[in-house]
Amino acid sequence: MEIKLLTEHYDKPEYRSLEGYKKHNGYKVLAKALKMEPKAIVEEVKASGLRGRGGAGFPTGVKWGFLPNNGEPRYLLCNADEGEPGTFKDRLMMERAPHQLIEGMIISAFAIGSQKSYIYIRGEYDDSIRIVSQALKEAYAEGLLGKNILGSGFDHDMDVYVGAGAYICGEETGMISSLEGKKGQPKLKPPFPAVKGYLGKPTIVNNVETLAAVIPIVDKGAQAYRQHGTEKSAGTKLFSVSGNVQRPGTYEVALGYPLMDLINNECGGVKPGRKLKAVIPGGSSAPVLTAEECARANMDYESLAQLGSMLGSGAVIVIDDSNCMVDLLGVIMHFYHHESCGQCTPCREGTGWLNKIVHSIVSGHGRLQDIDLIVRVSEHMMGRTICALSDAAALPAISFVKKFREEFEFYVREGRSKVKGAAHVEM
Amino acid sequence: MLKCKINGKEVEVPEGTSIIEAFKLSGQDIAHYCWHPGLSVAGVCRLCMVEIEGQPKLQIACNTQVQDGMVINNNSETVKDVVRWGLDFHLINHPLDCPICDQAGECGLQDQYMQFGKYTPEMAERKVKKRKVVDLGPTVVLDTERCILCSRCVRFTDEVSKTHELGIFNRGDRSEIGTFKDRPLDNKYSLNTVDICPVGALTSKDFRFRQRVWYLKTAESVCPGCSTGCNVNVYYNEEGLWRVRPRYNAEVNGHWMCDEGRDTYKFVNRKARLLEARVGHKDSWQSEAPGSAAKQAGVKLKEVLESEGPESVALVLTGQYTTEEYEAAIGLFQSELNSTLIYHWVNNPESFEDFDGLLLRGDKNPNTKGLLQALEQAGIDRPWQDLLDRLKAGSIKTLVVAGPENQSVFPDQLEKLEMFKEVENLIWLTAGPVEGLEHRAKPTWQIPLKTYIEKAGSFVNHQGLKQSFQVGTIVVSSALTLAEAVTLLAGQELELSAQDQILQQNRKKNFFTETRGAL
Amino acid sequence: MSIVKKPKALSKWYLPGILSGMGFTFKKLVTNLFNPKAMPTLNYPEEHYQYGPRFKGNHVLTVKKDGSLRCTACMLCATNCPADCIKIVASEHEDPTVEKYPISYEIDMLRCVFCGFCEEACPVDAIRMGPEWQTPALNGSNFIYDIQHLAYRPNLKGGIQSRLDDEERHKAGI
Repeated sequence: MEIKLLTEHYDKPEYRSLEGYKKHNGYKVLAKALKMEPKAIVEEVKASGLRGRGGAGFPTGVKWGFLPNNGEPRYLLCNADEGEPGTFKDRLMMERAPHQLIEGMIISAFAIGSQKSYIYIRGEYDDSIRIVSQALKEAYAEGLLGKNILGSGFDHDMDVYVGAGAYICGEETGMISSLEGKKGQPKLKPPFPAVKGYLGKPTIVNNVETLAAVIPIVDKGAQAYRQHGTEKSAGTKLFSVSGNVQRPGTYEVALGYPLMDLINNECGGVKPGRKLKAVIPGGSSAPVLTAEECARANMDYESLAQLGSMLGSGAVIVIDDSNCMVDLLGVIMHFYHHESCGQCTPCREGTGWLNKIVHSIVSGHGRLQDIDLIVRVSEHMMGRTICALSDAAALPAISFVKKFREEFEFYVREGRSKVKGAAHVEM
Repeated sequence: MLKCKINGKEVEVPEGTSIIEAFKLSGQDIAHYCWHPGLSVAGVCRLCMVEIEGQPKLQIACNTQVQDGMVINNNSETVKDVVRWGLDFHLINHPLDCPICDQAGECGLQDQYMQFGKYTPEMAERKVKKRKVVDLGPTVVLDTERCILCSRCVRFTDEVSKTHELGIFNRGDRSEIGTFKDRPLDNKYSLNTVDICPVGALTSKDFRFRQRVWYLKTAESVCPGCSTGCNVNVYYNEEGLWRVRPRYNAEVNGHWMCDEGRDTYKFVNRKARLLEARVGHKDSWQSEAPGSAAKQAGVKLKEVLESEGPESVALVLTGQYTTEEYEAAIGLFQSELNSTLIYHWVNNPESFEDFDGLLLRGDKNPNTKGLLQALEQAGIDRPWQDLLDRLKAGSIKTLVVAGPENQSVFPDQLEKLEMFKEVENLIWLTAGPVEGLEHRAKPTWQIPLKTYIEKAGSFVNHQGLKQSFQVGTIVVSSALTLAEAVTLLAGQELELSAQDQILQQNRKKNFFTETRGAL
Repeated sequence: MSIVKKPKALSKWYLPGILSGMGFTFKKLVTNLFNPKAMPTLNYPEEHYQYGPRFKGNHVLTVKKDGSLRCTACMLCATNCPADCIKIVASEHEDPTVEKYPISYEIDMLRCVFCGFCEEACPVDAIRMGPEWQTPALNGSNFIYDIQHLAYRPNLKGGIQSRLDDEERHKAGI
């Protein structure tokens, strides 16, 4: 069952404009927040248990608490790069409710004491860029941004920054490098962005949905937010469901919602005559779940972690038995090979190697030892790099090979897929 | 000072040291490519992994600061396995270029491979092929396939030479080092990138393919290119000198040296040297052994002295010799020849005080300060104009010139030769042949001298820092040092060194040793 | 432990020993007269001994398919040579896929001990020890063989092909 905490009015086209947004309780929470103490807002967000909705799931209130008190100017960066394959929830929010994002950002900026924020939108999202820029203009005209917002004495400036087509710029330090005008290559951590980020100053990087979720927390309070979801994963989340389902799209449900309910009730299940084979629950970086594991899966951080996968960005990719897992892995490996930034050696060479191995299997030249080699290369890529792209490439490779080994072995022995009539993508 | 334990050995390090620096202080090995003590930390090769007690994940040593009481090790099986795979990732796309690569013998990949291995490679796919033999500029050649993208050269051009010529283009395993289209790698420190490149991606056009490094021996010396006095290692074998590379010295040159100093091996090799003394004048030159030529010149000098008096002989010195030689030469001149006409030949007074901010100085002599100190000690201070006046007046009948061994930085040699044309006897002490002297009509002696690598002595640099060095190798054994030449000119006999004395005493006296060469 | 044979009584008489020795020689003479082909002696120089394929004779520098020298002047043979008889001068090739080649490759045959270490050391199959040897010359002849002789002497008939070319290797993506 959908709980439309954030997405209540997304079906109304007027919600995009400032007047339409204001008709539905828009910017009232901002007025309330500006009267509160910034520290109180941070405590409220901490108490609500809101976790980062971009993929890492780090408690937002705790992240805000890492900012040092050294008088340096602070920056708030909204990560609207949304590069994770399968994810399109932020696009929905930016196209249907840009003001929700802006309001959430102003409240968050007020809470952390930031005078300047950027919305980093990926270059491929033409519509989002246009709509959010327009919304910003409206907000400035209305006095909701700039000097002395709503007469509270708080100044804030917000800008849209357009990306240029790199998945790695969705990594927080990669995004900071890109904003600084350099190549979008991640920086070494420590020092962490909260201490030394954009231009060397304390910076908070949050996902679009996280910043928008601050609105209901400040509006109704932390306890009301905790009514939804589970003990450790509180609140609601937008899930982008795609793949072999009848009704793909974005659905907002409470965390802890059973996966099979989401697929069968909200999305109408798989097409008639087909059987569910696998589900990737959190974007292509998450390990895949077999159909049997899906029956035990709830959509929250703990349940999926217990099953060996992760919630990630909440992009659910449903795979039925008309798809070949080997081909699918080839597509995923091609993506990571293409998007690796090339800074550190295990990721740069490892993603290329994995891509070549899987493609030699797909083209019929695989050897039996290649299957174990995929697992061994992936294991040695994990945990040894500057950012998590290497882990994101290694985890699906390991999970695909371990859980669908017969398909790989069939492909190596016979030179073709076990699934008859499977779609084959030429790279 | 913080205490930590590295591989079981206790080390004390100052605050703010990273673990990899602590390893170096304690003298232990750790595999690394992208870290360099003279550059910022990049942390991209991921080879310097260490195990820290209490932390579940392995950390890189170059970016982690030492805490008090840390227990670090890099010889457990986990760490060795991580380094082995890290090295393997470097090698899977690396071309099989060892036979044609200059870096063979001093290559980071070769050294780590011999130590850690993964001696059975598992990569059975096609390697990524990139551009080879790319001309980066007047001094450096790039091979993008061999590059392991450690970014040391990029950080060097950004932080040290501050010329920003190199960058990494493309991403992923298609990344390549390169320059922008209209900006070649053309600065005065470009060959340092060849030194710091751990593999054979950047090679020096000057040294390319000339010699294999395992045939070369090293000698420590001081660069004679300018008054900075960068510490260098000279690479040589029995055929001569092949290249010059910087040696670390915290006070003088840090980790670097300029490109001009790297050419200072060229005037030392045999084909650029005067091998025998040349005596005579235009159209009637004779070759002599250096010692006997110097003795002859000394005899002539004494004759002229007796007839004309002590004001008829003068000595011109350049700032290219060691302090010990200056003291000996000036001392002898004063005591034996009773002359105080000693002059300092400055070739570029206008650009003398130039400094480019990093290492290059306008004074292209290594020991000007030493010469000035020796002259001061002897109490001699004659301006150059004094020499010109006396030459014009014709009172100087014999001129002894200690010419520059590095003739390329003395472009005014011909000009000076013009000035000295009228002198009756010219004794020119030089390491290499001087073109202009061939046409002199009056009696001339060209006596070959030893270069900086063949002497033991010291240079005083512009700061006043005295740097001593020993004999590296002897290239022309018959050449004399300045002190020996002036000794012979003054009419004294050369002293045999202690070693040679013993040899002479104990030599067998028989038919074969006495009538050498007669068979 | 040594076995001491006591001389038999018969051997004290010299004549049986002499006779048995002469008899043996005579037997051989008669056999060889009637069956010359069974003789183990080779009538050199009409007949030559057939050496095995791994015989270490005169050096041969192999060539690539297009006839140019296979050697990349890596100097491993010169380094490994125990007699220090190989002298190589390397140079840059205009073709970037070839890059390095020797402009001078000399082997001093009077120093060479025909050990075969150079053949073992070569990573690209550029030098081999061939089947011919016995190339005598007068005192004062040139015993320093250069590239022309080592790779292109007449009885090599244009050059021996090496087993692996760099082009094939590059095409295979290694």
